[in-house]
Amino acid sequence: MDFTRRQMLLAGAALGSAALLTACQDGGGTASTGAGNQPRPGGTLRVGALGRASAITRDPHGNQGNESDYLVIALVYDTLTAPGAKSNTVGRLAASWTPSDDLRTWRFTLAKGAAFHDGTPVTADDVVWSLRRLRGTPAGAARLPGIQAGNITADGKDTVVLVSDYANAELPLLTRLSTFVLKKDTAGKDLAKAPGTGPFVLDWYRNGNARLVRNEHWHGGTVLLDAIEVTMFESPQAMANAVLAGQIDLASNAGAVAGRTAAARKDIQVVRRPDDMALPLVMRTSEGSPFADPRVREAFKLVVDRPAMVEQTLSGYGTVANDVLGTADPAYAKDLPQRARDLDKAKRLLKEADFDLGRTYELVTTEDVAGLAESATLFAAQAREAGIRVEVVKQESGTFYDRTWLKGDFYTNYWGTNDSVVFFASKTLVTGAGQNEANFSDKDFDAAYREVLATKDAAERGRKLRELQRIEHDRSGYLLWGMADGIDLAAAKVRGLPTLPGYGRVQLENAWLAR
Amino acid sequence: MTSGIPRVAVLLGRRLLLLVALLAAVFAATELLPGDAASATSDRGETAAGLAARRHLLGLDRPLPERFRDWITALPTGDLGTSARGQHVTDLLSAPFPNTLLLGGTALVLTVLLSLTLGCLAAARPGGPVDRIVDVTATVAFALPEFVVSVGLLLVFSLWTGWLPAATLTGADGGPADWTMLVMPVLALTLPQTGWNTRVVRAALADQAATPHVEAAVLDGLPAHRVLLRHALPGALPAVATGFATSTGMLLGGAVVVETLFNYPGIGTVLAGAVADRDTPVIAGVVACAAAVITGVLLLADLVRARTVGARP
Repeated sequence: MDFTRRQMLLAGAALGSAALLTACQDGGGTASTGAGNQPRPGGTLRVGALGRASAITRDPHGNQGNESDYLVIALVYDTLTAPGAKSNTVGRLAASWTPSDDLRTWRFTLAKGAAFHDGTPVTADDVVWSLRRLRGTPAGAARLPGIQAGNITADGKDTVVLVSDYANAELPLLTRLSTFVLKKDTAGKDLAKAPGTGPFVLDWYRNGNARLVRNEHWHGGTVLLDAIEVTMFESPQAMANAVLAGQIDLASNAGAVAGRTAAARKDIQVVRRPDDMALPLVMRTSEGSPFADPRVREAFKLVVDRPAMVEQTLSGYGTVANDVLGTADPAYAKDLPQRARDLDKAKRLLKEADFDLGRTYELVTTEDVAGLAESATLFAAQAREAGIRVEVVKQESGTFYDRTWLKGDFYTNYWGTNDSVVFFASKTLVTGAGQNEANFSDKDFDAAYREVLATKDAAERGRKLRELQRIEHDRSGYLLWGMADGIDLAAAKVRGLPTLPGYGRVQLENAWLAR
Repeated sequence: MTSGIPRVAVLLGRRLLLLVALLAAVFAATELLPGDAASATSDRGETAAGLAARRHLLGLDRPLPERFRDWITALPTGDLGTSARGQHVTDLLSAPFPNTLLLGGTALVLTVLLSLTLGCLAAARPGGPVDRIVDVTATVAFALPEFVVSVGLLLVFSLWTGWLPAATLTGADGGPADWTMLVMPVLALTLPQTGWNTRVVRAALADQAATPHVEAAVLDGLPAHRVLLRHALPGALPAVATGFATSTGMLLGGAVVVETLFNYPGIGTVLAGAVADRDTPVIAGVVACAAAVITGVLLLADLVRARTVGARP
């Protein structure tokens, strides 16, 4: 099975460039004739989403292991902000936000007319209570980094103030994915039925499956669908079968294999959401690793045949990448020279670095997501052409996270949040970061990172962000050969489907059904 | 000769001890897997301190025997503990377990009916064409894993003809939304088990045919079906009952695969996920439910055998 908890946990929100989005929508196979193109109200959308009965969570601030649960929660409750298309952060329950000059204090103004499903207006107190509750969960420090519970306060009825421990120009980015707002003082036992403020109202929920009905008074605009029925699927195969057999209208995140199967069917749309998942190879950069010399890392980055990797391990459902994580960020440095295969230069670099070609190097991988183990195997074959012997070692997911992740010299991994370069810099690249997978430590990089966070002027910050990406491209421990698309399958009549990668897939409030 | 009730008690006691040993083994085996529930169910962003806090919250920092003792002593009160994600295990299993019982029970009843019929038909004329066809078909059916049967059924009855739904959708009551959704999962479980049990029935009847009382019945000139049903079958029952009892375990095992393929909302899918999460209370809860059913059926088979063969403690 190519569906695991970590895929679900990590498939983070991200953002595709506007151009890619348009292309994707057009390429979705949506029939565009006559009256079928006018959005119309009514109908029930039957959605399949992946999830496991053992991992069911109803707590909006809990550890959501199931895409199905997250989908239900994200339609019933609103976050402060949400992933967007033109900017990676757009308003949701918060209509606007402004920073102080030192970029530490951020004021969020709530949307006018926002109310809970029982009619009670949302106040800043509800938001403060919800954010503090989120901060108090075991993962709270990672979800709202740098923001102490005491530094989340209300200012009047409709303004929430967050004060960060340090200057953070990207703070609103943190409030997109799990800042679900509940009524102040909602008791733990009432969580499952607690009213939200989102576009849909919970009708019933049973063991991962749910029925949601339209919120007639949603502050965010008019919702067209009468109802959404969510069915939880354990395996992507069963979910693809259900959409092919017409039992459901949308199979969310069905994967490349299902996409290939459905490609021949005229009555099924294959929706591609670019930049959904990064599948990097991680090379440990610190002393004692065979990859400690940056020339070795560069050589490996020159050995990989990127288009072949995308074509063969992702069935073509993906794009070539350039060793910089955060490919869907509007500030992603597209102007950095695209690295391509160059075996001669790679061999020269290895020789200069005195790299031992006599031994075999282990590349540890898992089958956690589709294409991951395949990418390791194909890379090993490509490396052989440069005279490097790579042996692929497959580990079970639990073993991998216990023994290899953050420790190994050379392994594959995957990330689902790809719309922010800064996100990766803070989580995986800056010296001492919690998940510094390659143990990367670079003075210039750290300096660039600190400057990015402390710069208020957008143009100036953009320039510094490019410098940060240049260093990452040149010498980080990440060999990022490509990005996998997110693949949804939908019946021909479904329109207005989400096109953003990662958590963007749950944005079904604009969907409608053509006649 | 001991009276009936204490013997049932002895059998039951023995099975209960076995069940406790099995559950202890489940706890120990989950412990041996790399990683633990705290890390398996946490966000990747969680800090070491956060992980330690989760570990403490889940009680994973306490020794294994202590955790097992707490869990097993709460078991008789119907408390199966709490999952690593904070749900009560009884809540997690309350809808899936009856669903699996429905699926497995239907498959077992069908298996019993089909294999008795086919076995008797084959035994009626040993070596005849029916006997040979049943023999070959049963062997093939038993050799097919549930996975292969399921995929074959899916292709033919759903994706090609569209006669039956490909996946099980759940209604508001937590069960399958439509009875047609049960057809393919039940068949996928029934076919291999029918193959196995038909052979058991056929072989047991063949053994009986050689016994003096059956030979006498034949020499008396009784009609063949009367000899088969009245004289041979009762003697074959202990072996047949044991065969069916064994099938119960295999049906529940096969359910893990079949439920996943057809998205059937049963405990098989819960178990698969719980193992990945190292979620010991959930794994043990599923095992306890399944083992209770299997123990019940095995006990029944024991009683049938005891009744037919005569008292033997």
